[in-house]
Amino acid sequence: MSKPTDLVQGTLDLLILKIVALEPMHGWAIAHRIQQMSSDVLQVGQSALYPALHKLEQQGWIDAEWKISETNRRAKYYSLTRAGRKALAEEAANWERLSTAISAIVRAV
Amino acid sequence: MPRWLTQFRLTLRSLFLRTRVDQELDEELQDHFQREINAALQAGLSPQEARFAALRAMGAIAKSKDECRDIRHGNSIDDLFRDLRYAGRAMRRAPGFAALSILIMALGIGANTAVFSVVNAVLLKPLAYRDPDRIVTLSDFLTNSPGPTALSKQVALLDVRDWHDQSSSFDAMAYYTARESPVMPGVTAEYAHAARVSAEFFRVFAIEPVLGRFFTANEMQPGDSGAVLISYAYWQSHFAGDPGALGRTIRIYGRPLQIVGVLPPAFRFPDQTDLWYPAINREPPEPRGGQNYLAIARLKPGVSLEQAQTEMTAIARRLELQYPETNKSRSVAVARMRDNMVGDVRLTLYLLLSAVSVVLLIACANTATLLLGKATVRAREVAVRVALGASRRRIVRQLITESLLLAVLGGAFGLLLAYAGSRTLVALAPASVPRLAETGIDRRVLAYTFGISILTSLLFGLVPALHALKVDLNDALKSAGARSVIGGGLRRMRGVLVIAEIALAVVLLSGAGLLIKSFVALNNVALGFRPENVLVMRASLPGPATPVASQFFTDVLSQLGTVPGVSAAGATMAPPGYVDSSGAYMIDNLPSNPDWTSAPKTVFSIIAPGTFAALEIPLKSGRDFNHSDITGRPLVAVINEALARKSFPDQNPIGRTIFCPFDTLSGMTIVGVVGDVRQRGPALEPMPECYMTYRQHGYNGATLSIVARTIGNPEALAETVRRLARETSPDVPLKFTTMQAALSENVAEPRFRTLLFSIFAALAVCLAMAGVYGVMAYAVGERANEIGLRMALGASTASVLRLILGQGLVLATIGLAIGLAAAVALTRLLTTMLFEVQPNDPLVYVTVAFLLAVVAVAASYLPARRAARIDPLTALRQE
Repeated sequence: MSKPTDLVQGTLDLLILKIVALEPMHGWAIAHRIQQMSSDVLQVGQSALYPALHKLEQQGWIDAEWKISETNRRAKYYSLTRAGRKALAEEAANWERLSTAISAIVRAV
Repeated sequence: MPRWLTQFRLTLRSLFLRTRVDQELDEELQDHFQREINAALQAGLSPQEARFAALRAMGAIAKSKDECRDIRHGNSIDDLFRDLRYAGRAMRRAPGFAALSILIMALGIGANTAVFSVVNAVLLKPLAYRDPDRIVTLSDFLTNSPGPTALSKQVALLDVRDWHDQSSSFDAMAYYTARESPVMPGVTAEYAHAARVSAEFFRVFAIEPVLGRFFTANEMQPGDSGAVLISYAYWQSHFAGDPGALGRTIRIYGRPLQIVGVLPPAFRFPDQTDLWYPAINREPPEPRGGQNYLAIARLKPGVSLEQAQTEMTAIARRLELQYPETNKSRSVAVARMRDNMVGDVRLTLYLLLSAVSVVLLIACANTATLLLGKATVRAREVAVRVALGASRRRIVRQLITESLLLAVLGGAFGLLLAYAGSRTLVALAPASVPRLAETGIDRRVLAYTFGISILTSLLFGLVPALHALKVDLNDALKSAGARSVIGGGLRRMRGVLVIAEIALAVVLLSGAGLLIKSFVALNNVALGFRPENVLVMRASLPGPATPVASQFFTDVLSQLGTVPGVSAAGATMAPPGYVDSSGAYMIDNLPSNPDWTSAPKTVFSIIAPGTFAALEIPLKSGRDFNHSDITGRPLVAVINEALARKSFPDQNPIGRTIFCPFDTLSGMTIVGVVGDVRQRGPALEPMPECYMTYRQHGYNGATLSIVARTIGNPEALAETVRRLARETSPDVPLKFTTMQAALSENVAEPRFRTLLFSIFAALAVCLAMAGVYGVMAYAVGERANEIGLRMALGASTASVLRLILGQGLVLATIGLAIGLAAAVALTRLLTTMLFEVQPNDPLVYVTVAFLLAVVAVAASYLPARRAARIDPLTALRQE
């Protein structure tokens, strides 16, 4: 099981962007979704999640909005902005390149 | 919403809605926590277990909150505000300290800004004309002469015409002459600054009249009825801004000229000119030998000063070959008008600016010692903050912010001081300084003030700030009292600062001492006449001084003789203090083809009989002029002793003949010898002088200054004399002054710099004194225990006094030694400004040393006395 700090720098950003690109989501759901989609390989704790979310918000890549959630409480929903969409495309491309390169080396041995 | 706007909104939110943003963060994390619990409950855990599981999963909440806060925009601004608030609180806690430091900085920055505002107006500000850098002056100079002479900027009319026709570097080239001229705008005659200008004069400045027009080509030709342009100020003062002024007539030198235009408000070139009229030239024009004009030009766009100079040098070289008899060894210098205008005052102003910068340095050192004095208290506070997790960077920033606040407040008050100060400076400055009227607080001055405020805050804030970092955390927190925290290092640093203050003060004081001594010498020079109680009335005949016209002076003088309170009266073309005219002379016979260039030079003076008596210039032999020395009678002259010494060594000059190419080449018989007068002010030796009488040299006698020796205050008689002159002729403009007032203009510049330098030196000494006092008072407080112990062990009051005074004297002595060494090196820069005083004058340095020693002792005395009064019991019990 990988701890969040083991995530390659910037990878968490990519994951968050990718997840909120699907639909507006609050923090817990994002973490949950990451865990689910990675079949429990990636678990993101709040101590990594919220600084990352707030950083992306400050960068203007994601937007936050308070909405009443299914539990009937207020929750902060994050959604991708136009700038975020562009950033996501770039980050994703970067990741593809990087992972291909690393896989190529790893498999070559 | 565009990205930057989102970010801006977030910045504002985190700055101004901090509580709300923080609450939202709490709520968000709380929500997360609840969901973790819910998830755990759903997984089948008991409520208690679910809660613990959620807590474990959450980890350190406080830490991630901090991280979230650190990510927000506007943190640095927020920190700044926090630092400022903190600094403000610190100031309120110690208002006396804050007020003192702000006052010191305000003095330093204010004095600096005031001087800079003058430097800015006179030296730095571009001239208020379009493309000021393209406006140049063209000056004649002798290639074989080392230094410039008084008239060296003047050029010959025909030369300018050739320059104009042969050069291609300029859009326009013009010549002009300006002087105070007799003018009649209405029925009364007055003096006004009037300039005779050539056709392209206004094109050089690229200006347009605000009303009317420039001169037509016809108006520049001989025989035209004449036209005049007036300044905006003159239009307002004499015609109340009435457009009907166009077409009205102003008489200049008696000649009626019609007003054809009004110039823009800012345009008063040259100097404070009010009237401009065409320089119409007689044909054939005056020969190349007469250099009576000043020349200006406007560079074509893209032409550099160097290119223009190269072209002009080549043209001058051609003229030299073409007209060797007049143009030999003469060339032309092209200079930017601004550089040419300021010339002499540059040195004085930069000198003052450096002096005042030294004052600012001392002020900085002073504030730094004050801050260091608080360093002990601060050290504990800093230690606590570091212990609580503040980064060192953050601490330094905090301390720098505090000094910044001090400096900016000091700068703001300094600006107020500067506003008043620059007005005083302008009032004190010699009238000859150009562009003084433009002095004010403009953007450049504001930027300067702000800049030096920041700079000084770093200067005085950095030392204490860096010092605070060196504090050992454990020591600082452990120590109960504030005493032993910093110890020797701090004391040394304060000592060094005070020594620096004293040394800088010594440098300034030495400079001031030299200037004062020089100024006193300047004022004690025997001028060769007695300037006290002499009324001077300048009067100009409206036309040439024909025998009929010059009757005015004869009448006024004869009536003056009957006025009670006047003991003697005369008139002179140039009252002592300035030279109107000079040239070569020959004795006994005049060759048919005289070589004037190798003949000795003399000052020419036109005077009226009685002038020697009125000025109390002693008659050494022969006689004064008298009322029968008039046109048609044998020409006579009176010479001074300098001329007699030069041309008649061991001979009697009376009865010999002198030839001067002044207005006639006829020989004049020398009838008298008078004592020497310093014609060019007290700083320069008397020159040979040849006096002629006004009724034999009519053409040059149109403007004379009547000098009347009075019994009592000369100004009291001005009204009487004015009435008398007005009754004699209403067409003659009059201007009154006293001989002493006129002479003080001669020493205005040395007086200005001496006065200011002395003020700055006094300020420096006061600041240094405060510095010594502060350090000694602090040292006494610090050593109270030790002193108490000494006294308990039997030390006498006197020995304690000696101990503390001695410590003060040690600081003073080191400061003095360094300061004197620096002063000896630096005051050499003053050499050209000193009169009969050497830069290494021992008396000055001894006085400075003595004065500083007294000041240091005086400043140490109060703390020393306090030390001597320490009650051993109280001091020891405190420990």
